[in-house]
Amino acid sequence: MNRPVVKKLLDISIITGILLGSGCVLLTLLGNPVNSGICLSCFLENLAGAMQLHDHVRMSYLRPELIGFVLGSFVMAIVTKRFRVTGGSSPVIRFFLGFFIIVGCAVFIGCPIKMIQRLGAGDLTAVAALLGLMVGVWLGARYIRAGVHLDREKELPKINGYVFPVFALLLLIFLLVRPSFIIFGQTGPAARHAPIFWSLAISFVIGCSAQRSGLCITGGFRNMFLVKEPTLLMGVIAAFGSALLLSMVTGQFHLGLNGQPASHTEHAWTFIAMLLVGFASVIIDGCPFRQVIKAGQGDVDAAITCLGMLSGAALAIGWSIRSTSAGTTFSGRIAVLLGLIVCVVVVLYYRRPIIKRPDRQTH
Amino acid sequence: MDRFYKINIAVLLVLSVITVGMLVQHEIEVQGSVNPKFTKKAILKRKYEKQMARNAWLYGKVISLQKAGQSVQAIEELRKIMANNPSDAYASVLLGRLYYQQGRLADAIHSYRKAVQKDPDYVDKKTPLYIGDEIMELISNARGKLNREKRLKPNDTKIQTAINDIYYLQRRIAGGCE
Repeated sequence: MNRPVVKKLLDISIITGILLGSGCVLLTLLGNPVNSGICLSCFLENLAGAMQLHDHVRMSYLRPELIGFVLGSFVMAIVTKRFRVTGGSSPVIRFFLGFFIIVGCAVFIGCPIKMIQRLGAGDLTAVAALLGLMVGVWLGARYIRAGVHLDREKELPKINGYVFPVFALLLLIFLLVRPSFIIFGQTGPAARHAPIFWSLAISFVIGCSAQRSGLCITGGFRNMFLVKEPTLLMGVIAAFGSALLLSMVTGQFHLGLNGQPASHTEHAWTFIAMLLVGFASVIIDGCPFRQVIKAGQGDVDAAITCLGMLSGAALAIGWSIRSTSAGTTFSGRIAVLLGLIVCVVVVLYYRRPIIKRPDRQTH
Repeated sequence: MDRFYKINIAVLLVLSVITVGMLVQHEIEVQGSVNPKFTKKAILKRKYEKQMARNAWLYGKVISLQKAGQSVQAIEELRKIMANNPSDAYASVLLGRLYYQQGRLADAIHSYRKAVQKDPDYVDKKTPLYIGDEIMELISNARGKLNREKRLKPNDTKIQTAINDIYYLQRRIAGGCE
């Protein structure tokens, strides 16, 4: 094998993709809910329940994976001296876009990473989600090309960057000490979880690797649509490939449209919901997973987005926005449409017309 | 590092140690004082035991009629109880079993769906209420028949509803984050 091929195969994005895809399946094997080895939106819903932000006990568990991602990213950023504290870029807008990203995920029942795992496990209902996500990212990329971008971020005092990792550390203490105000459900998805050590270890490694690679599901498509740069997309494909392979090897692959775990067959709403996720993720520069990783490496804007996502997760349950196996809900559909309206208003406001420089005349 | 920093870092360390210490001590005290009968697991176990005892008491007559093969009388009896307990999931389970006994597959499947919607514990392997295998057996018997009927009567909404109910039950039994 010649060197460039080896180098390409060993690209950190591809390694992260493989870790992510196989991590999803491994965590499922170790006890996490089926097809939900790693799902940022489900995990945030569980976290919101654990913190009593909603009262659905079956969805209340402090998922160690979230802690592992943040701490992995934080440690890697510190070790490689890439811990750069920035913020101040349209924080409230990011908060609400984070909120609506989780709304979109809740209507589909899963974040983009879970979408990949579901595809890898043969769940064909996720095809509509993939198409919706791609169209959403493509739309976002078109808007970026038309001059849409949020305010420029600026350097902030270091303490701002430490807040989120310290919050993750506090959650770790809660996970280990199990104080009475943190709810750990005994039935349903809350009771299905991998051993804490393995959840933390796997997610910590993925967090470290994702910090180095910058892997992002929506970012992979965005870079391809915008500048035809395939590195991150290769990571996404690697995640799918490894999830598919491991699902097949471990007997978790069930090809079909019907009877898939935690899914529904309202494909049009799945498409629109994931379109919202793709669109909003491009505006705020990253899918839910990437936002968590960025929050760990000192990005205060991403931390605010994460808080918006946590609020979205709490209300997705509290306001019955989340779909079930029976299908989408009325409030879910309305929330998705509202999310799209908010996205369009934001891009309209933040469009900065691109001024073309007159061609220099050469004499 | 000047005095200001030294003092404040010392205060920070002391406060952190006190906070974590108090938190740990409180939890040890709480967990130590909890009677083993009142742990979350024990409470949950008792809840299920109570629920099953209540079901056996409330639906005893229906169950004995069902066992005797008198499904019509059993359904009549069950409907009387259901009128007073409309949200009871176990009544829907029993109705599903009785319809299955009568060969009314579509109605049986719909009853099981209602039961699962009322109480998802019936498809949760971690609870003693789990009846996923029973439902899967019904589904595997009904699927072929319903598909054949659908081919014969493509516009029959009842058959389509039954097929949708099967998909719903399969999704719930498969697990997932729901």
